[in-house]
Amino acid sequence: MATEKVVSLSAEAKAVAARVGSLRDFLAYLGEHDQCVSWPDPVMPEPDIRNISVAAGNNVSTGPAVIFDKIRGYPGKRIAVNVHGSFGNLALLLGLPKTTPVRELFFEIIRRWGSDKPLLERVAPEKALVNENRIDKNINLYDLLPLYRINANDGGFYIGKACVVSRDPLDPDNFGKQNVGIYRIQVMGPDTFTLLSIPAHDMGRQMLMAEQHGKPLKVSVMIGNHPAMPMFAATPVGYDESEFAYASQMMGAPLRLTTAVNGTDILADTEMVIEGELQLNQREVEGPFGEFPGSYSGVRKVPLFRVTGVSHRNNPIFENIYIGKGWTEHDTLIGLNTSAPIYAQLKKDFPEVAAVNALYQHGLTGIISVKNRFSGFAKSVAMRALGTPHGTMYLKNLILVDDNVDPFDLNQVMWALSTRTRANDIIVIPNMPMVPIDPAAEVPGKGHRLIIDATSFMAPDNLGADPHLVDRPMGPEIDALMQRLNELQKGGV
Amino acid sequence: MKTICPRCESPGVTQMHAGMEDGEVLWRVWHCKDCAYTWRDSEPAESIDPKLRPAWAQMKGVDFDSLRQVIPPARKPT
Ligand SMILES: [Zn+2]
Repeated sequence: MATEKVVSLSAEAKAVAARVGSLRDFLAYLGEHDQCVSWPDPVMPEPDIRNISVAAGNNVSTGPAVIFDKIRGYPGKRIAVNVHGSFGNLALLLGLPKTTPVRELFFEIIRRWGSDKPLLERVAPEKALVNENRIDKNINLYDLLPLYRINANDGGFYIGKACVVSRDPLDPDNFGKQNVGIYRIQVMGPDTFTLLSIPAHDMGRQMLMAEQHGKPLKVSVMIGNHPAMPMFAATPVGYDESEFAYASQMMGAPLRLTTAVNGTDILADTEMVIEGELQLNQREVEGPFGEFPGSYSGVRKVPLFRVTGVSHRNNPIFENIYIGKGWTEHDTLIGLNTSAPIYAQLKKDFPEVAAVNALYQHGLTGIISVKNRFSGFAKSVAMRALGTPHGTMYLKNLILVDDNVDPFDLNQVMWALSTRTRANDIIVIPNMPMVPIDPAAEVPGKGHRLIIDATSFMAPDNLGADPHLVDRPMGPEIDALMQRLNELQKGGV
Repeated sequence: MKTICPRCESPGVTQMHAGMEDGEVLWRVWHCKDCAYTWRDSEPAESIDPKLRPAWAQMKGVDFDSLRQVIPPARKPT
């Protein structure tokens, strides 16, 4: 039940939210903080863009967004990668210093979680920047976009970070049932593309409905978006909840919407919108594609869409993502928003849960920090985590650590594994559901789960030879001292 | 030399686009109507040379109708 609750933001967060209304605004803001660079040299589409994207993403803390504007064979075209590729960039979006620890970013997302007042502004289509240019005829996506191969064995050129808007084919006037999600898109003919979804996802459900009832399914593929959109479009919200509303709530500032020619709602300031229509019951050969577990998906038959029109800003920026063997921008982009709902769901039943880190490969490995209420309690929390919506498919390896271990600090997690784990505190649950593209599955969609209880022992456990733990100084006081040392290193006093 | 698909070796390929530099064609993008592979003729050989591409990635002789459907169609396309 909506309560019109708006989370109060810091002055800095409000200033960023007010200032950043589009991808371009965000790139400029990142640039002022040394977090966006223009690549100075001419690049070939392959392999240069792939290699530079990987290099930018290798610095998980403060790797920059990279803009390419000298792409050989694509004069005048622009690409941006790694926009969400570092925690520094995410921190800036949330109005925090770019060196903010990941743990604090997690709690900032949690703090904004309770907001439920949609902040949406309507812009007349003739005033929307995305409508500066319109192409209805002779559409060639290979000409309009500087497309390139993301990984060497991909089956083609992918649009990997577009937010796709679609209306429910059986209830097309319902704003809430309009879906926004990120799906991988392989460009096929000059004006056709495939869009991969599965029946369990909102888009897959809409494709099934459209074909069963012979109804049209129109989509708008938004490329180069307000940075909140890809970050929060990937967070599962209820089927009748709007991702636009959710993203605006999390930013604490209005998102500007307009209506596309095909009737869907789109971001008014997005760089490019490709409008397409599902070709009922037609399929095309799709893949492989280097996916987030770091392995190629197979070649399958996937629904085909035909482009009905393209709108774009002047001099549009093709925003894309490097995805493959981790760490990649995909992990940074969705990691915190994968962790937050698991935490919120666990916290309801178990207030002892302190934090959840499910950053790794969409939560294939998760680390939960929890205060044991009684001996063995952490294992019950792990079982509950497996029963959360995301845990059902994704949480394959779970590590449980004490509440005074920061699950985002892997050195601390390794301490817990080294000193708190007994071999019989490891549980394997065989033959559980699994993400079909997990290469460690026994058969696609089925495999084993692992729980490692690395929390401290308590009675009636055998407490071991020396159970008296050192109380390591931690918290804000230590953080401040680290900051001071950092300044001293830079020559401060 | 006739261009063939580097993945399924079909001759049924169509040029999608040509990249220009100083009035000259720098590269061409091709698409295969059989296996739907897309490539640029300027790419590293590991992506576009059938002899250097990994064997698992090749599709010569594959029956495309037997590929798995991700969303099964409700009926035959009209
Ligand atoms: Zn082929």
